[in-house]
Amino acid sequence: MLVLVIVATAFIRQPPPHKLTYLQLVIPKGWPRPTINIFANNPLTEEGFQLGRKLFYDARLSRDSNFSCAGCHQQFAAFATYDHDFSHGYNNSFTTRNAPGLFNLAWQKELHWDGGVNHIEVQPLSPLTAENEMATTLADVLKKLKRDTSYIRLFKIAFADGSINSQHLLKALAQFTGSIQSYNSRYDKVKRGEDTFTVSEAEGYKVFSARCNSCHTEPLFTDNSFRNNGLFLNKKLMDKGRMGITGNPIDSLKFKVPSLRNIPLTFPYMHDGRLINISKVIDHYRNGIDTAQPTLDPLLKKRLVISNQEKVDLMSFLLTLKDDVLTHDPRLKQPD
Amino acid sequence: MKTTLRLFAVYFSLFFFGVVSVKGQHQPNIKITFVNYTNGYPLVLDSGFTNCWKENFTVQVFKYYISNIGLQTTDQQIHREPNSYHLVDERDSNSKSWSFYLPAAKYDSLFFLIGVDSLKNVSGAQTAALDPLNGMFWTWNSGYIMFKMEGSSPQSSVINNKMEYHIGGFSGVNSTLKKTRLALSETAISVSDKSLTEIIVRFDIDKIWQAATPIKITDTPVCTTPGTLAAGIAANYSHAFDIIKIVQQ
Repeated sequence: MLVLVIVATAFIRQPPPHKLTYLQLVIPKGWPRPTINIFANNPLTEEGFQLGRKLFYDARLSRDSNFSCAGCHQQFAAFATYDHDFSHGYNNSFTTRNAPGLFNLAWQKELHWDGGVNHIEVQPLSPLTAENEMATTLADVLKKLKRDTSYIRLFKIAFADGSINSQHLLKALAQFTGSIQSYNSRYDKVKRGEDTFTVSEAEGYKVFSARCNSCHTEPLFTDNSFRNNGLFLNKKLMDKGRMGITGNPIDSLKFKVPSLRNIPLTFPYMHDGRLINISKVIDHYRNGIDTAQPTLDPLLKKRLVISNQEKVDLMSFLLTLKDDVLTHDPRLKQPD
Repeated sequence: MKTTLRLFAVYFSLFFFGVVSVKGQHQPNIKITFVNYTNGYPLVLDSGFTNCWKENFTVQVFKYYISNIGLQTTDQQIHREPNSYHLVDERDSNSKSWSFYLPAAKYDSLFFLIGVDSLKNVSGAQTAALDPLNGMFWTWNSGYIMFKMEGSSPQSSVINNKMEYHIGGFSGVNSTLKKTRLALSETAISVSDKSLTEIIVRFDIDKIWQAATPIKITDTPVCTTPGTLAAGIAANYSHAFDIIKIVQQ
């Protein structure tokens, strides 16, 4: 009897045990360790990841249930919007910036083209609530989730107190998006000695190393800095990038250097998608830069000299950055 | 069977006694209450007031964060409220008062931060007072709105005569974080373990308008981004707090 009582009280006093399967972010060989640990207060688990995955693909996270996160962040496009300068949002609206690919986010201290979001967990608040994106409210999303028995079950499994609240919603999404990694392109395989470049790709890699690598730094192919690369101000959008966040005129027209990984899938390019293909991007750096801009990056004050042959080689090198493992990873697909 | 029953009773009384005593160790002995004033009276939402520039205004939303509360003893020791984050919302009377435990001592000053400390602004999704559900978190330029006053004024030139101050920004020269220290009274206050000491703090809205950065609704009916104006308004209200009463039971 006493034993029974002890067992019973022990059960009352402690929450039921959760068998969580802990996961680890992969740090590919030769990569720097992330400067921040995005999972510091959000231990990465299989259960949290799977909940985040379901949420990511769930269009009910928008006001009219038409727009999921995955609607604009498509796996086959390395989680960018394929072939769109701007993405579509609620009520036939457009976004005002080009959707970036989502991968290797654990190495990004700030998110968005202007770095306005300072933590991966709070990023979804922007698209969820923006009138030209998912156009909903956190309260509304939580109300929908609380009515769904499968979510009630999944939140219970993934988090200690099991409640459906904004923190758990955001942490689960961060576990999914923070786990999307790209390190299996042909470039990576060549680096690991599993493949070789063609002559043209090897020549292009030389051009890349000499002219592009200082901002699009390997192995992430970005140094995560904010720079003005000499694009004319888009008069319709009047988007001054980083200055909108810092309020500092020295940040006028600066945008985050995007990673070149998966570049064949993330066209069109630049923060407003104005350049439709890689050829146009290289031409911009050869002769399209607006050198009159006071905040133009010092590295671009002198135009980049890239010959036509070098351009062709550079383009073939850039194609090696496409990561088919990422775009076909069954763990990142829409759950059944 | 009798023995088992007795054991059962003993075990259960021990168990419940244990629970009660753990809680009993931390009986709250400090209560903090915030009251918002304007024109010398407690603020009433949705009714008309006048500022020092003879501008009429009505307040519909009045919310602010108070965090990192502590008391200092007469021998310079500092005791802090654990997990000290509070959203004072004029619309919700329960939000304006809370209690906690601090060690019994003679205290001579109360200090707190108006706003949410910078660390919590950069640490991802939070809960309770800091839940983004409370509408006090900027989504495009991450960070908390430290102070929010919305309403209307015939002097405002913007649409629907709106008056809207969302004051935030947690870093650099335009930080709106303000530490405030208030003397408890001329003599120190003895706080014991057994009784509750209530400290009533006034936020005098009148001080927002006329201070180092004068604010006229005619000229600045809206401030919703971090910057020099927001920092100026925060500096104004950092001097708007005082203790109007201490009640010891």
